[in-house]
Amino acid sequence: MSAADDERAVDRVLQGDLSAFEEIVRRWQGPLVNMAYRFCHDRGRAEEMAQEAFVKAFRGLAKWRREAAFSTWLFALAANLYRTEIRRIPPRTVGLDEIAEPADPRGTEPDLEDREQRRLVQRALKTLPPKYRDALVLFYFHGMDIVTAAQSLRLPEGTMKARLSRGRDMLRRKLLHATR
Amino acid sequence: MRRDDLDRFLRDDDIVPSSGFVARVMDAVHAEAAAPPAIPFPWARALPGIVATAAAFVALIAGFVSLAIEGPASAATTTTNLANDTIVAWLVVVLLLCTVPVAVSLRFTRTLVNDD
Repeated sequence: MSAADDERAVDRVLQGDLSAFEEIVRRWQGPLVNMAYRFCHDRGRAEEMAQEAFVKAFRGLAKWRREAAFSTWLFALAANLYRTEIRRIPPRTVGLDEIAEPADPRGTEPDLEDREQRRLVQRALKTLPPKYRDALVLFYFHGMDIVTAAQSLRLPEGTMKARLSRGRDMLRRKLLHATR
Repeated sequence: MRRDDLDRFLRDDDIVPSSGFVARVMDAVHAEAAAPPAIPFPWARALPGIVATAAAFVALIAGFVSLAIEGPASAATTTTNLANDTIVAWLVVVLLLCTVPVAVSLRFTRTLVNDD
């Protein structure tokens, strides 16, 4: 399914063919659920947030002005909704200091250590101020593409770059503090 | 932690939506499509109230400004002061009265939306 297929599906939905929206949901369910998951790290909540994003997209389909790709519009709408949702009900966070150290770090399996570090990074990410966290989440979600991430956040590229740089620095400091 | 590691941990974190996800979304979409359209704000009804409120605000500010300008001179006569006080009091009453239709319209709209 290409961008032209998306456009055709949108046209059919606007003409009253609801089954065409199912094509859109099938195509974009993975990215939308994953983007939500990166914000909340809760599978159930991520699906609820993605569902809300799809319903919102359905409601506002006529407002898509076709200046950008449908996916760009959909991701921007979803990112906006997720940020609002996360601000309304923040995900449960545990302080980095509260995470138990492995009993014997030398004896841990490499993938276990990897998983632990990943968990540490994700938790540190949750503790960042929203504007830096959102920038990092969307940058990595969009495969490290600054332009697309900036579009999703409706930010100028320069601001996006600055937030990424500052966000990474803050993340590194938090991780350094946590592993000391 | 190196930049590469940080990138890796932040990038590779994908999940697969559950099997019933599409069906749940489509149920929600069908429900959304079946729902009656949202009731628009009754601008036609609220407009007179909004205009009257704005006019009352302007009149109130103009009243205060003129009182401030004429201050010492008008303070000399009790009659003028009384007249000014009456004007201000009337302006306040009018202002309060004007907010009533706006508040009622908003409440009415909200009740209708909640009932749906």
